[in-house]
Amino acid sequence: MTPDLGNIRAKKARLGKRIGPIGYDMLRGGMAAGTIATIILFILSLPNLACVAIFFSLLCLVPAAWYRLELHELPTNSESLTGRLDRHLLARLEPGRDMTPLTIWQDIKGYWQNFFVIDHLFIHGDALDDHLSQEPADTAAVWSTAAELAGSQPIQAGHVSAALLLTTPSLQPYLQSIKVDTDTIKAVTGWLDRLLESRHVSRPYFGGVGRDWANGFTPRLNQFGHNISLDIEAHGAHFGWLTTSPGVQAIKTAFSQGTAAVALIGDDGVGKTSHVDALAQVLLQEQTDRNLEHRQIIALNPSVILSHASHPGDLEHLLLLLLNEAAHAGHIILFFDDAHLFFQDGHGAVDLSQILLPVVQSHQVQMIFAMTPRDLQQLKTTNGTLANLLTPISLQEPPVDQVMRVLEDAAIRLERRHDVLITYEALAEVYRLSGRYDQDTAYPGKALKVLEQAMAHADHQLVNAASVQAAIEQTRGVKVSTASVAETDQLLNLEDAIHERMINQSQAVSVVASALRRARAGIANPRRPIGSFLFLGPTGVGKTELAKAVAATFFGSEDNIIRLDMSEYQQPDDVQRLLSNGANESKSLILAVRQRPYAVVLLDELEKAHPNILNLLLQLLDEGQLTDMEGRAASFKDCVIIATSNAGANRIRDAVSANQPLDEAFERELTDELINAGQYKPELLNRFDEVVLFRPLEAAELLQIVDLMMKEINQNLANQHITVQLTRPAAEKIVEKGYDIRLGARPLRRVLQRAVEDTIADKILRGEATAGTNLTLDVADLKL
Amino acid sequence: MLLADLLTWWYGRGWLQVARNGQRRLRHVIDLFSVSLLLRTLIAPWRKIITYPGAGLDAKMRAISDNFFSRMVGFVVRICVLLSAFVSGIVLGVYTLVVLLAWPLIPVALLASPILGLLL
Repeated sequence: MTPDLGNIRAKKARLGKRIGPIGYDMLRGGMAAGTIATIILFILSLPNLACVAIFFSLLCLVPAAWYRLELHELPTNSESLTGRLDRHLLARLEPGRDMTPLTIWQDIKGYWQNFFVIDHLFIHGDALDDHLSQEPADTAAVWSTAAELAGSQPIQAGHVSAALLLTTPSLQPYLQSIKVDTDTIKAVTGWLDRLLESRHVSRPYFGGVGRDWANGFTPRLNQFGHNISLDIEAHGAHFGWLTTSPGVQAIKTAFSQGTAAVALIGDDGVGKTSHVDALAQVLLQEQTDRNLEHRQIIALNPSVILSHASHPGDLEHLLLLLLNEAAHAGHIILFFDDAHLFFQDGHGAVDLSQILLPVVQSHQVQMIFAMTPRDLQQLKTTNGTLANLLTPISLQEPPVDQVMRVLEDAAIRLERRHDVLITYEALAEVYRLSGRYDQDTAYPGKALKVLEQAMAHADHQLVNAASVQAAIEQTRGVKVSTASVAETDQLLNLEDAIHERMINQSQAVSVVASALRRARAGIANPRRPIGSFLFLGPTGVGKTELAKAVAATFFGSEDNIIRLDMSEYQQPDDVQRLLSNGANESKSLILAVRQRPYAVVLLDELEKAHPNILNLLLQLLDEGQLTDMEGRAASFKDCVIIATSNAGANRIRDAVSANQPLDEAFERELTDELINAGQYKPELLNRFDEVVLFRPLEAAELLQIVDLMMKEINQNLANQHITVQLTRPAAEKIVEKGYDIRLGARPLRRVLQRAVEDTIADKILRGEATAGTNLTLDVADLKL
Repeated sequence: MLLADLLTWWYGRGWLQVARNGQRRLRHVIDLFSVSLLLRTLIAPWRKIITYPGAGLDAKMRAISDNFFSRMVGFVVRICVLLSAFVSGIVLGVYTLVVLLAWPLIPVALLASPILGLLL
């Protein structure tokens, strides 16, 4: 199965390429010159020379006509492989030599379709030069694969490029190393097919010069809105597949059947406005349905309307004028984008539903209201009659293949506008990351938003997965890219970094550090939080401090911590506070995590929370998300969940006193006791990645804590260039005074504050400690 | 081989294609001048500029007269455009007919012109 390059179609393809647009223009020029010369020579009574000029003119005319009407298009046929090849491809294949995969590649490598496939897959062209077979027998597989990729369409050079990639076994390790698989290659050829298809769409018929002569003028509507249909007519926008989408067809059918007003319902980003744009194109082209023939859609601009209404009643008067104008014109469909702005009072919004109601009831003007399901619910409560009169058409989030198609179309536009190359890998990453990090907007809107943001992160005019990750990291404050060398070092030495801030509890630190490394290496479950831990142990042993250390070392700052004291959530109704969208509730966990999606969520004293809250925690730990009171999800998938509890503290203390190791057996024993005592449900404990036991601190560790606290004091004094240190007896005295078996190391800070900070403050005020002073405090100096 | 294919095409698909192109251009003229729409709305008021009849015979008579005027304006404009479309269509039709008739003679003329030049 190889093309016959000696057959007539191949020869015609090569001739067509040789003539090309430049040759065609030259032939036309020759024809014109010959015709002029003929006329002049006849006038000069030189008929024999005029015949030569005629000959020349016709000699140019015949190939020019052949090129224009036949060679330029050279229709394909399904009779043979050669008949199926697109003329550009056929013309490029050099005859007169043994055809091998390598020669095919050499013939097509300079053609734009080849660049399209190879560049969007981000494949280095040299890799093909090095790996492609030079065996003529291997070409059959290339052509059959290309034919398979083309389906029922002509075989294009792009299909052959993809077939060369798919049928070369020695290329596969390279392709795997750059994460290009069969599906990706097929997806890029599909992208190319759609691009070629869109290039062949002819300009639609929009009605001609007399289209609007039987309809009224719309000067006010043009002032307070914009005519989407005329925009499409002027700019020749083609919405392609969207014009035949179920959403557009449903609106068209509704209007065709006499519906006065349609409520186009869908979440933000689902494409309500794009559907109306596509509908505008469909209606402008409409010729069969007299009710919709060449109808135009005008989108009203609420901000312009509001700005022109300075006195009470102005707004109502203006809207009535606009509605009357649309009704009189007879060919206008009004589009209310963000319709809630017309249905509720507020900043930049006004309730005009009472004015719209009689217009909808009387069927005077056809209207489209774009709104979210929430907006429709609200309208039902404020103006149920109007809501019931609207014909609801719901737009669902499109499936992945349609979203990718939207992204591919957008990528072509962005590539032209920004002079960049957007790889297919980048589009796939846009889909993946926008799905994960944007819970508020629907596809394809959220994906388009991320793709546009990625333009700012193009590296050497290339937008790849790294550009998309950089855009997400900048806009969302999360880490999604591969760890840098410095970060890798930090991750590998996470225990050391944490121990710079907290003393001992090595087992707890090790467990947490391992979980964080797993998450950053990308091997943790992406549908759950990065890590979830239940810290059990007595008060003042470093549970909260470890949470802070994780925030500082893993999330970059101690501020990246969302801390909730669960003793404030002891009532059943407190669930609502936790799940509030934040509008009326400052202590909303949902709001906090939306503001800081990449953080430690610290749930202090978990045992004090109401059981309903603990049930909620099950969902959070299982699915990595919570749903707010309005049904919108908030993701915790980039959070580390740490719950602390003093439950079992006495049991741990006793075990340590008895020199019993806090190993796995003890942990199982303790958790069983907690379950049997009814303090925690087994399903909750099982959902934590780790239950981490914190043991009471020993005297030596307390001395180290005093050292850490002294470091903090010295950091605070650094601006005044004063340093302070404690003698060993002084430190021991502070430990002795500051340690409480019930409160752990917590009173230590208070004692240190009184003993050291007050002493230094006195000395500074008395002038005994000035810049450059190095104070050493002994027991006698301390204010205990 | 190419020459034989050219001649086969010239007296077969090529000729048909010239006819089809002429037809397409004619369709374009009809669309461009909105012929179908203008015929259907030939006496409709111009841009819907109409007067709604008020109370009283005087007002009613004035409305009838205004609307009649609007329809007349619409009719005149539409008729002018339809005539332009008609003329354009005729010109295009004649041109296509001439090309169709001349088409089979072009290869003959190509061969005959140098001979004719020698004879003259």
